[in-house]
Amino acid sequence: MVKGDAKPILKILSLEKDVETIEKLSKAAYENLLVMYKQDKHTHLRSSQTCLKILSVLMTRYVNRNGSEVDRDWFILSKGHAAPALYAVLAELGSIPKSELAKINTIGSLLQNHPEISMPSVDVSTGSLGQGLSIGVGIAAWIKKAGGRGRVYVVVGDGEQDEGIVWEAITHAAALKLNNLIVIVDWNGFQLDGDTEEIKPKSYLPLVWKIVGWKVLWANGVDVVSLITALEEAMDSDKPVVIFAQTRNAVESSGAINNAH
Amino acid sequence: MLTSIKSFRDALGELLVEIGEEDQNVAVVTADVGKSTRAIKFGEIFKDRYFNVGISEQHMITFAAGLARAGAKPVVVAFAAFIMRAWEQIRNSVARMNLNVKIVATHAGYSDFADGSSHQMLEDIALMRVLPNMNVVVPADVGDLRRCLKRIVVEVKNPTYVRIGRDYSPPVTEDMDYRCELGKAYVLREGHDVAIMGSGPILYEALQAAKELEKMGISVAVVNVLSVKPIDREAIVKIAKSVGRIVTVEEHMVFGGVGSAIAEVVAQEYPVPMKMIGATTFGRSARSQQELLEFFGLDRKAIVKACLEVVKNRDRNA
Repeated sequence: MVKGDAKPILKILSLEKDVETIEKLSKAAYENLLVMYKQDKHTHLRSSQTCLKILSVLMTRYVNRNGSEVDRDWFILSKGHAAPALYAVLAELGSIPKSELAKINTIGSLLQNHPEISMPSVDVSTGSLGQGLSIGVGIAAWIKKAGGRGRVYVVVGDGEQDEGIVWEAITHAAALKLNNLIVIVDWNGFQLDGDTEEIKPKSYLPLVWKIVGWKVLWANGVDVVSLITALEEAMDSDKPVVIFAQTRNAVESSGAINNAH
Repeated sequence: MLTSIKSFRDALGELLVEIGEEDQNVAVVTADVGKSTRAIKFGEIFKDRYFNVGISEQHMITFAAGLARAGAKPVVVAFAAFIMRAWEQIRNSVARMNLNVKIVATHAGYSDFADGSSHQMLEDIALMRVLPNMNVVVPADVGDLRRCLKRIVVEVKNPTYVRIGRDYSPPVTEDMDYRCELGKAYVLREGHDVAIMGSGPILYEALQAAKELEKMGISVAVVNVLSVKPIDREAIVKIAKSVGRIVTVEEHMVFGGVGSAIAEVVAQEYPVPMKMIGATTFGRSARSQQELLEFFGLDRKAIVKACLEVVKNRDRNA
């Protein structure tokens, strides 16, 4: 046996176990989403649903929130309106009591319709599009300056990229070569007013990220193995990484309801 | 030598270096105005803690919020006028999370006299003081900046907006000896007929106006409202009770600024006659700051006139 052989075998074994765990978790999290939506139709069901697998994979297998500010990982839901997806996953992981879910948006509840750091398991308050990504660049820059081990994971929407600050943030992250920053785009094809291609075409966006200096990867955003494969590849990069995760299927397969403001 | 510096931005550059030496967690963030604001002085020494994000003011603010979240003490340094395009970032990502981000806004008021209305920021105090968690500090001169900046950056944990001009800093507080405290106003000159209260270099005009009024037999107090938020309610009420007439001065719109902040206290705690001196419209290009103060009626002449009116009105009503 050659030295080092055991490592990939162990990894595959843990992967199989993880896939099963994550699949189970995201199914239960979807039920949690429905509990919240049943209680309050102001929760953004569809946007939450399309990123549910992404969040399940990240929170279960990647984001380690223990350690000092620069040695821990950070998770930022830049598309803050998908807060119910975060709560649904956190409830399955035991960070929030499941009994809290039904109380979402009630006065006094920590579960706000957009994430707030007043809730201990939320790293960054979001809700204004584009800003979470930009904050992530700041966190990753300070981790890198301090020589910390932490990584920053940011989930952004496709519609969110209409915001000018996204341009400001991704060009800066590329200039700083922040290889500890991993962005996943919930490429679900819709924004508040309708189909993304009808509001403002976005199919060129992956090329924009690539040309400004990001490593660009693709994933099937509703397939756990595909997401893990992309994330494993993202771990080894000399530049920031963005994963465009196709998630439109998540909606079309279940016929979820479009709820707007 | 630092004490000989008479320009706001030159003093700022030197102070940032001093602060950077004292505290390893202090970082400076700017948006392609490192040279114009002198923030680059910090960058020349502490390269790994100096971030020039390019011409991206919105990202500059949220990037600084990220630095603060990860444990740094960021100081954002840029022109007041263009920091305001990131007001919503300051609201949603700095103030809402109560992050330790310090914003030093240079070129405020009419100090960028040549560049005209696009660059002359006259609305920032209103926009900043309306935000929960945000402190607002307006140094009267280089001496005030020297007194307060290190304390604010190293000791204060809440987001704080520090408003200074580009260069113009006539001597307002150089004979004074006080320690800068948030929530404190400082009496620059005692008087009992009328009190001029305000912030920034316009207090120099106030002091000159007070001297002219003294020649007319009117005794004028001048108060430096260095901390606009939190504001020194106690000092304002004390002045209202003891002097009974107030004229406010600011190089800012009279809507929502320092005068409004003072009026909010006076109206609720101890109403007395007031006049408010300040801008009412956009600026314009000129050859000097003094020229603009005169053109828009923020100079010593205008202050004297307002003081005389408030004294006369009070006498008529008595």
